[in-house]
Amino acid sequence: MVWLSDEPNFLTIFFYILTEGLFVTLALTALGLLIGFALGLLLALMRVYGPTEIGWFASGYEKIFRGIPVLILIFIFAFGIPRLFWYLEPLERPMAGVILALGLRSAAYQSQIFRGAILSVQPGQTAAARALGMNGFQSFRHIVFPQAIRLAVPSWSNEYAVVIKDSSFAYGVGILEMTRAAFDISANFPELLSLSMGIVAIIYLIFTYPVTKLFGERQTKKLKDFGMGGG
Amino acid sequence: MKREMAVIGMVVCIAVGLIVGFFLPGLLTPASTPGKTLVEEIQDRGELIVGTDAPWPPFELYNTTTSTWEGFDIDLSQMVADELGVDLVVTNILFDELIGACKAGTIDMIAAAMMVKPSRTEELAHSVTYIRVNEVIIAKGTSTITISDFDDVTGYIMGCQSGTTQHDALLDLGMTEGVDLYVYPKANTLMASLEAGAIDLAYVDEPVVSVWAKTQSLKIIYTVPAEPMALWARWEEPELMMEINNVILEAYRTGDMDDLYEKWFG
Repeated sequence: MVWLSDEPNFLTIFFYILTEGLFVTLALTALGLLIGFALGLLLALMRVYGPTEIGWFASGYEKIFRGIPVLILIFIFAFGIPRLFWYLEPLERPMAGVILALGLRSAAYQSQIFRGAILSVQPGQTAAARALGMNGFQSFRHIVFPQAIRLAVPSWSNEYAVVIKDSSFAYGVGILEMTRAAFDISANFPELLSLSMGIVAIIYLIFTYPVTKLFGERQTKKLKDFGMGGG
Repeated sequence: MKREMAVIGMVVCIAVGLIVGFFLPGLLTPASTPGKTLVEEIQDRGELIVGTDAPWPPFELYNTTTSTWEGFDIDLSQMVADELGVDLVVTNILFDELIGACKAGTIDMIAAAMMVKPSRTEELAHSVTYIRVNEVIIAKGTSTITISDFDDVTGYIMGCQSGTTQHDALLDLGMTEGVDLYVYPKANTLMASLEAGAIDLAYVDEPVVSVWAKTQSLKIIYTVPAEPMALWARWEEPELMMEINNVILEAYRTGDMDDLYEKWFG
């Protein structure tokens, strides 16, 4: 019976959680968002510019992945389909599963964000671009897309906040991220359960609030100055 | 035009369904290198991946002070890893998910104080059993609850860990989850609930109590003899199971097993 040694205090728990779990939490979030961005943008383009049938596919995808809890997706991709990541080392498979689950789910939401952003660029601008001799792709690439991506930033920062918080579900499949690190502390020192959970809550807040503030509110204000967007 | 689209749509759906159906069974079996046993694969990889569910001290606990794994099961797994000449890697999964993860090939072996019971042996193979402990019903130190028979627990709000034999035993008594039975994914949340008064009684392995009794006022009000515990691996990998059994039997012969009992339960 060796483990009940020196009791950690606020600072030691804070730095323990950061050193053990921060990198993985941010990596899961970044990769999840990246997959979500690529796939979400594609789905949005499919819905806005694609033929009706392609649009059905995209909106079907959104409906399915917005309707499944991310924890269920994580269990499905981490353990439910073992061969999915056969080329990875066994312990990397749950990690890849979590990233895929976060990414696919995020894509369904990001698709809505980008679709809204693309549609909120006035159609008259495309017409003007075509009148100047641009083809369809050029008018999208140079006129619609640069504005749409700016319009999407405030909602997109909200999506970041959702994904970083949902990455905490990864603790269920054995990944050492911040939630797991906080749990480990409370496993060693049961009386510190509230403290370690409180600290990890503060850390998540530190990593969400400033970002949503910076990208959300400031970008909205900037867009208003240009006469774009509604918030 | 509409009808054409509908026909094309149906053909596409059937084709997708057939393709998914063709690949799905393959996806659901564990990924393994053909022509190689798991033991050879583990030795190539240089790591034995063991799944556990911590905290469940003194069987398994991740020590946050030293950043190392500790516990009876961990030491035993280390012996297996030493026998295979590889490093031990421990991964901490929810107890419910362990059997699925092992069948999926994410982990090679389960060492999680997992008791032998028929429904589990249908899924996985177990080793020679290495320890038998009692299961106990515990209450807060200040509690006045007493029971004379195991069936009496149905009158109280019970708590246990999800997927354990305790969970099954309480369900067999006819208790209903969310009504008089609360199930927790991790032992520390179970103990915190008992402390907070959300549940009247908790049903756990006896050695676990002694660890939480250091920081929480607990008392044992009823003891139930339980099935022995074993290490678990896939049925398809008899070579690995042979190695595991050899290690356990050898540990009994050399007295290492007694040393382990002394170290963790002494």
